[in-house]
Amino acid sequence: MRQVHNYLDLSLIEINKLFKEKKITPTDLVLEAFDRVEKNKELNSFITLNKEEALKQAKELEQKEVDSLTFGIPIAIKDNIVTKDLRTTAASKMLENFNPIYDADVIKKIKDANMIIIGKTNMDEFAMGSSNRTSYFGLVKNPWDKNRVPGGSSGGSAAAVSSRIVPLAIGSDTGGSIRQPASFCGVVGLKPTYGRVSRYGLIAFASSLDQIGPMTRNVYENALLLNTICGKSSNDLTSVETNEDFTRLIGKDISNMKIAIPNYYVNDAIDKEIINKLNEVVELLKKKNCTIDYVDINYIDKAVPLYQIIAMGEASSNLARYDGIRYGYSYETPENIEDLYLKSRKIGFGPEVKRRIMIGSYLLSGKNAKEYYDKALKIRDDLRRNFLATFEKYDLIIGPTNTTTAYELDKGLDDAIKSFLDDILTIPVNMAGLPGMSVPIGFSDSKLPIGLQIIGKPFDEAKMYQLASFIEKELNLDLNPNGGEKND
Amino acid sequence: MTNYIPTIGIEVHVELKTNTKIFSNSINGYGQMANSLTNVVDLGYPGTLPTLNKEVINLAIKAAKVLNCNIRREMHFDRKNYFYPDNPKNFQITQSRTPIGYDGYVEIEVEKTKKKIYIEEMHIEEDTCKSTHRGDKTLLDFNRAGVPLIEIVTKPCISSSTEAKLYLEKLKELLFYSDISDCKMEEGSMRCDANVSIRKNEQDLFGTKCEIKNIGSISNVGLSIEKEIERQAKLLDSGETFKEQTRRFDNKTCDTVLMRVKETGNDYRYFPEPDIPYLYITDEMITEVEKTICMLPDERRTIYIEKGVSDVNAKKLIQNRELSDYFNTLLSEKTNFKIASNLILGDISAYLNKNEKKITDTTLTKERFLELIEKVDDGTLTSKNLKDILDVILEKDISISTIIKESGIENITDDSTIREIIKKIISENPESVSDYKAGHDRAIKFFMGQVMKETKGSANPKLAMDILKEELK
Repeated sequence: MRQVHNYLDLSLIEINKLFKEKKITPTDLVLEAFDRVEKNKELNSFITLNKEEALKQAKELEQKEVDSLTFGIPIAIKDNIVTKDLRTTAASKMLENFNPIYDADVIKKIKDANMIIIGKTNMDEFAMGSSNRTSYFGLVKNPWDKNRVPGGSSGGSAAAVSSRIVPLAIGSDTGGSIRQPASFCGVVGLKPTYGRVSRYGLIAFASSLDQIGPMTRNVYENALLLNTICGKSSNDLTSVETNEDFTRLIGKDISNMKIAIPNYYVNDAIDKEIINKLNEVVELLKKKNCTIDYVDINYIDKAVPLYQIIAMGEASSNLARYDGIRYGYSYETPENIEDLYLKSRKIGFGPEVKRRIMIGSYLLSGKNAKEYYDKALKIRDDLRRNFLATFEKYDLIIGPTNTTTAYELDKGLDDAIKSFLDDILTIPVNMAGLPGMSVPIGFSDSKLPIGLQIIGKPFDEAKMYQLASFIEKELNLDLNPNGGEKND
Repeated sequence: MTNYIPTIGIEVHVELKTNTKIFSNSINGYGQMANSLTNVVDLGYPGTLPTLNKEVINLAIKAAKVLNCNIRREMHFDRKNYFYPDNPKNFQITQSRTPIGYDGYVEIEVEKTKKKIYIEEMHIEEDTCKSTHRGDKTLLDFNRAGVPLIEIVTKPCISSSTEAKLYLEKLKELLFYSDISDCKMEEGSMRCDANVSIRKNEQDLFGTKCEIKNIGSISNVGLSIEKEIERQAKLLDSGETFKEQTRRFDNKTCDTVLMRVKETGNDYRYFPEPDIPYLYITDEMITEVEKTICMLPDERRTIYIEKGVSDVNAKKLIQNRELSDYFNTLLSEKTNFKIASNLILGDISAYLNKNEKKITDTTLTKERFLELIEKVDDGTLTSKNLKDILDVILEKDISISTIIKESGIENITDDSTIREIIKKIISENPESVSDYKAGHDRAIKFFMGQVMKETKGSANPKLAMDILKEELK
C-alpha cells in the first residue's frame, strides 16, 4: 500500500515548493485526492470522477515547468459548469447522460493554469435549493456532522474542500449557493461581482444573478483562484474586463476601515450563537480602530420576494431548452411532439425544478409580467442604489452569512419556503450585483462552522480579501473537520 | 356582393446580409449542407450565451433610415417564449418592447398618385431553424437558426391588393439597393404575412382580421388578399361571423386555407433578455451608417429621366443594381445618356450575360465608355459594326478609335462613294422610288437596307440618309 503523506493538507505555497524541489509530482497529489474521495465516499460530494484523465494530465505536467502556485493542483468543479467530454449533469436526470462538446470559459482558464480536474461535484438540481437535497444523485453530507446538510446549491464543492479532498473548488451562486454552503462547511467562498467571471458554459439558472466563484480552504488561495478565473470573455456580453491581483491587499493593515452592519443582518431570526460570533469579530475590528456602524438599507428585507420573481421567471425560460429533442433525457415512446415535451420534462426534472418552472411561467404570464417581473426589476434597481449609497460612506458591509448553522438532513423537507429563508442574508447581494464572501469565524456549541459575510462595492474584491485575511489570521481556527492532521 | 372596404396590414421578415449569424459566429449562408453552419450557441446547448453581431445593428439602423423610421437610442432585446421544435432554446430573442425603428413610411405611386404606406415599427430578431416534414418524421436544419432578421410591420393603412404589391415591390427595391438583404422570396430571405379585414363604411370599426402567413411571392400576396376579401365578403353577406384566424395561401387551388383559429391571449411571456446588455445607439453610429447608404432607386429614376433616358430603360437599369451603379459613374459627365443606356442594356448586357461577367470585370473604363458613346453618337460606329468589335472593346484596354482602325471597319464617310452606291440603288429600284414619292415610309427603310447591304453595314447611317433624301428629291 502506498504511504499516506497528506500533501493535500499543505498550503499551495508549500506544495509549490515541494514541486519545485521535485520532492513530489502532480501524480502524487492526484492519487491522494482520489484516495480521499474513496475515504469520504459517504459524503457523496462527487457526481462524476475524472480519474483517468486527471492521471494522464498529471503525467503530462511532469514534463512542464512549475510556473504558478496553481500548477498541478487538484480542483473540483460544480456539475453545472460544462466540461468537454466529461459528463455534466447539473444533478438532474434530464442531463444524466450529457457529455458536453465544449469547455466553459472558466474551465479553459483552469486547464490553461495547469490545474487538474478531479471530478464534478454534487449540487442541488440545476442549482435550485440550499441544502443539496434536490440532487438526482442523492444528498451530500456535511463533513462536520454527517447527519447534517452541507448547504447548497454548491454543497458538493463545499464538502469536497472542507473534507480536504481538494484544496480548490468552483461553485456558482445565484442567491447564496457559494456563500451558504461555505459557511455551513467552514470554508472560504466568494461570489464575485456580477460580470467578474464569464458565465459562458455555466448552465443557466437565473441569468441576471448567476455568478461563478472560488471555494477554498483559506482566503489567500481563494484570491489566487479568482485571479485565474476572472476576466472579460467575448462569449459573455455581461462579463467585464478586469486585470488585477486579488491577493495584493492581503495582510495589509486594516486600521481605520469603515464598516457597516445592516440592522436587518442582526435581526431576531438569526441564531444567538451566530450573533455572538459576529460580535466577537466586531470587537476585533474595533481594536483596529475600525468604524462599525449599524445602518438601514431600504428594501433589503424585500430581496427574497424580488429574488423569487426574477430568478424563477428567468429559470422558467432558461430551462425551456430541455425538451428531449437535441440532447438530454428524451421520453422514448412519445405519441406526438406535445407528448415528447410533456413526458420528457415531467420525468427529466425533479419536483423542486418543476415547481420553480411553473411559478416562473406564471409570473411572466400575461399581465403578471408587468405586475411582478417589471416591478421587481425596478425595486431591484432601488435596492442596488441603496447599497451603493451605503458604500459612499463605508468601505465594506459585514454580517452573518446565514441565520442558522447546518441543520439536520431531514429538517424542513416538506417546507418549500424554507430553502429561501435560508438565503435571506445572501440574496440581497445577488440582487444588487455585488461581490460577497463567506469566511469562517468560529463554531457553534455543537461544533458546527459559522460564517461571516463580507460584502463589497462592485469590483472591490481585493478589499474584501484584505479584511477576510485579517480576521482569518486573528482567529487562527482549525478548519479541518477530520481534526488537525496538518503534518505528516 | 356588397362592396366592402378592405383594411390590410403587412408584416415582412427579411434576412440580413451579414457574414455571420446574429448571436453567434456561425456563417450566415444559404443552400449549404444541412446543419453544417451551426455551433453550440445556435443549437441552444446548455451553458451557451448569445453574443451580438455589430453588423446586424448597423444594417438595422440602415433599414430604419431607408424606411424613414425614427431610431430608438436605448434598446434591449426580449425573450419570446414558446415551445416549437424549430426553436432551439424554446424562446426566440427578439425586440418586443423597444423596436429599433418606429413611425416610418414607404412612398408608392398608385395610378399616378403618391401614397405613403406607414410603418408602425421594425425590429431585430433571430430566425428559427428550418423544418422539413417527411411522412411522420420532421427533419431540422439549424443552418437558418440565428440568421438575423428584421421584421417590418405596417400600420393597417393599405387598402387594396395593388397597393400591397406596390408596397412590397418598393420595400424590396429599397432593402436590396441598400445591401440590407437579398430579398429573395424563393429562398425565404424575404417572407410576407398579410392581415386582412373588411368593413362596410369608413366609420365602422375594423372587421375581424385574418392573417395569411408566409406567402411565397409578391403576386401571390396580391392574389391571396383578393381571395381573402372575397371569402370574408361572402361570409358577411350571408350573415355569418368568423373568428380571428391564421390562414395560408395554397398555390395549387390559388386560395387561402385555414391553418388555425387564434386562441385568445397567445401568451409568449415576454421579458427582457438578461444575457444581452442594453444597447445605446449614438449619433456617431447613425452618421457612420448614413455614409454607407447609396443613391436610392427613386432618386436614380428621376435623374435618369432628366438626363434623357427613356422610362423603360430607367426601369431596366434600376432593376440591375450593378449596371445602375456603373451608369451612375457617368452622371457627372456630358454625354448622350440615351445612347449610354441603350448600349448598357443592349449589346453590353448580352455580352455580360453570355460570359457571366460583371461590367466591372471588363476593360470598359468610364473613359473608354465615353469614347464609345461618342463614336456611336457621331455615326462612326453602326450597330452592326459595334457587334463585330464589342468583344475586343470589352476585353482589351486599347482606345476605341484604335480598335475601329485596326478592325478595318471604319465607316464609309466619303460622300462620293456613298453617293455613287445610292445612285445605283435608286436606278435599280424605280418602284420604290414611286412608293417613296407617294409618301410610303417603308420605302426609305428599304433603301437604307439596300445601302447597308451594299456597303456591308459600313456606311455612316446619318450621312447615307442625308444623301439618300437628296437623291430622291
